[in-house]
Amino acid sequence: MSTTLTLNVNGQNHTITVNDPSMPLLWAIRDLIGLTGTKYGCGIEICGACTVLVDGQPEKSCDMDVSSAAGRAIVTIEGLSANRTHPAQVAWIKHQVPQCGYCQSGVLMSVAGAMQAGHTGSSIASEVQNLCVCCTYQRMREAIAGL
Amino acid sequence: MNSWLQVGTDESITLTIGSSDMGQGSASGLAQVLCEDLMVDYARIQIVQGGPTLAAVAPIGTAINTVGSSVTRNNFWKLRDAGAIAREMLVTAAMNQKADLVRANFTVSNGVVHHTPSNTNLTYGQLASAAALLKPPASAPLVADSEFKSIGKPQDRKDIPLKVDGSAKYGIDIQLKGMLYAVVKHCPTFSGTLANAPAVPSGMVAAVPLSVAAGTGRGTEVAGAINAVAVVGHNTWDTWQASKDLSVTWNIPAGAANLDNAHFLATAQALAASAPAYVAGGTNPAGTCYTVEGNATSAAAAIAGSAKILDATYVLPYVSHACMEVLNCTVDYVPGVRCDVYAPTQSAKAALALVVQLTGLLESQITIHTTFLGGGLGRKAEQDFISQAVQVGMVVKQPVKLMWPREEDFTRDQYRPMGLMHARAGLNAAGQVTGWAYRNVSPSILGQRGVPLGATGDSQGIEGAHALPYNLGAAVTEWVSHPSPIPVGFWRSVGASLNTFAVECMIDELALAAGQDPYMFRRSLLTDPRWIAVLDKAATLGNWHAPLAAGHGRGIAIGTAFNTIVAQVVEVSNVTSTRMRVNNVTVVMDCYLAVNPSFVEHQLIGGVVHGLNATLYGRQTFLKGVAQNRNFSHSRMIRMGEMPQVKVALIPNPALSDRTVKLGGAGELGVPTFAPALANACYSATKVRTRTLPFFPNATMSD
Ligand code: FES
Ligand code: FES
Repeated sequence: MSTTLTLNVNGQNHTITVNDPSMPLLWAIRDLIGLTGTKYGCGIEICGACTVLVDGQPEKSCDMDVSSAAGRAIVTIEGLSANRTHPAQVAWIKHQVPQCGYCQSGVLMSVAGAMQAGHTGSSIASEVQNLCVCCTYQRMREAIAGL
Repeated sequence: MNSWLQVGTDESITLTIGSSDMGQGSASGLAQVLCEDLMVDYARIQIVQGGPTLAAVAPIGTAINTVGSSVTRNNFWKLRDAGAIAREMLVTAAMNQKADLVRANFTVSNGVVHHTPSNTNLTYGQLASAAALLKPPASAPLVADSEFKSIGKPQDRKDIPLKVDGSAKYGIDIQLKGMLYAVVKHCPTFSGTLANAPAVPSGMVAAVPLSVAAGTGRGTEVAGAINAVAVVGHNTWDTWQASKDLSVTWNIPAGAANLDNAHFLATAQALAASAPAYVAGGTNPAGTCYTVEGNATSAAAAIAGSAKILDATYVLPYVSHACMEVLNCTVDYVPGVRCDVYAPTQSAKAALALVVQLTGLLESQITIHTTFLGGGLGRKAEQDFISQAVQVGMVVKQPVKLMWPREEDFTRDQYRPMGLMHARAGLNAAGQVTGWAYRNVSPSILGQRGVPLGATGDSQGIEGAHALPYNLGAAVTEWVSHPSPIPVGFWRSVGASLNTFAVECMIDELALAAGQDPYMFRRSLLTDPRWIAVLDKAATLGNWHAPLAAGHGRGIAIGTAFNTIVAQVVEVSNVTSTRMRVNNVTVVMDCYLAVNPSFVEHQLIGGVVHGLNATLYGRQTFLKGVAQNRNFSHSRMIRMGEMPQVKVALIPNPALSDRTVKLGGAGELGVPTFAPALANACYSATKVRTRTLPFFPNATMSD
């Protein structure tokens, strides 16, 4: 029993067919649409590596059914800006934040979501609950302070 | 110029590296070293990771695994010489072209050779073809330290732009045309094996039994045993669900009942009290005591006659790696023709040998593509996941990406070994140490890899416990191989992460028993000026002598690993039985020469917090052979709000480049001294000594 639905990702519509409408958005974005910037870390809503914006809100895509994401505006790291021009990306490069970098897409989407909700500077930091196993928090904090 | 350094006629300069960059910045660091003597701007060097094939002349760094904080220090002089030699070949080509053989008439700046008499320029790109025909000189003069433009200067890492826009490709991001997806399901019990091959679930392509390839199994997992199944399907999610639902019968050997923490601890306690000594030429089974250095009898005698005797036992748990990117590997196998492997591996060379062994293909038919690694931490130097992907590829004969769900990653790790360290020492009336007897009981990483242990035991297990710089009177260091067969492996800083904790806590306990300040006590036991300088700097920068607010505590520790000396001062407060606040950490490091102080600082801070997570929360436990902590929910780590402020200083600064001084590593060095500095700080705050880690074993984490 397959279902066909349309996802709007980074302003583009993608029609996909899934066997299981409860497939998490994460895997639809990665495997079916082919955008791999959004990462799998834990699959249980803890690490935040899979964070994307859904209608402007940061959401953990590992725990959102693809069927409930259909028709909503989804933004992934690939759609955050053209040419790394989002202020958070600019700050991340300036402060040389990433180490392995694996968590950073999710972190940047959390930061972008907090900024969109009107947070600035250190009040962004309290919104960002992402896990970074490389522990780049100090530079994240420095980068966020200027946003 | 050779197969790993290419100067193109299009002015491109490409450095191919064989080591893996897991975010420590070593790839960019290598470029930074090369550009100095090649005399080009750092920005012009392109880095390519992994060779197209390892069968060609090895790219720099392939001969080693990316372990032991070794990439920069092992390649520093090699790259400097290579850069200088290449530069001189290009200049010689220019001399030939200008028919002027006076070297002094030529200067180089950012890849442009200037001929002073004619006031004309030739670029490296214009000279590349002619230079390639020249015979490289055996050596060439290096740039003087005073002229350094790149070495020792902070530079931006080349990989960072790719890591802020989602374009960096990690192993798990590989997508090939017609690719299938495989999800691994191991026997939940270590030592268990498959009873019957499962049927292919509906909608799936295959269910492939996976065996332990020779050389990849550790401990309970012996070569040839079938300990897992991979379900193969058309996308990750459906395949993962099918693998969860797959009913598999496993044979569990009776011995698995004893694979549990209580049993391991009891065994360790017994071996700490008595263990048969190593016999040269003997069988020396697990449970043997190796004398690493010193003499147990004289140490015991010196301690026995002391005014004060201290005796303490420190216990550390098994710890998972928990790299942010789970284990995965993609294989594209065409029978008899070729095999392409895409893997986040710390050891492409071992992967190549493994693929030869499994497929029977020639090295020239195999390509190992090293991707970015979402953390390596030692785990991705292992080959089990690569072997499994190749096995699946050989069955399905089409491209396939194999991944371990997070739960498999936690429960089928090759863990940091548990350890029980017993220390006994004496003090005389003047507060000097009269004798020191130290025994580490822990499973052997090298032993599980079939490396024969010599008279001094496992060289990895004793890191941080021997050649101590302190004046400890009559001392002995022993190491006992613990028989637990739970697979163990290299975990950031390896043995030093266990021993430095025990040694530096014991030194603190001695200082307090002697009625002395822990910093001054250490200082009085040291003679090596490099150690004293690091310790002094940490005390100054960490405000060691500043008064403490009520409920606050400060601790200090110093240690060495990979030729580098590190000291830390940690300040804590609000210590309870379930939490504490780590306020400040000061780290001082002497690795002699830091190619890029900014990378090194970032690595050290990361290492400190990695140590912090392990010290407060990190452990894996086993019940009847089954690992109990299956995800981050039961392996807590700190988030940004809990991040202490970390200050870093590197000494000596500046360091002169000197071929006779061994360069130290940096990538793992934040870890070992953190745990003891923290434990010492907690004692200072609470007057309660914690000798068993982690501090908060039952901590959990939710969203
Ligand atoms: S993968 Fe979604 S929160 Fe970790
Ligand atoms: S940069 Fe590696 S996990 Fe965050």
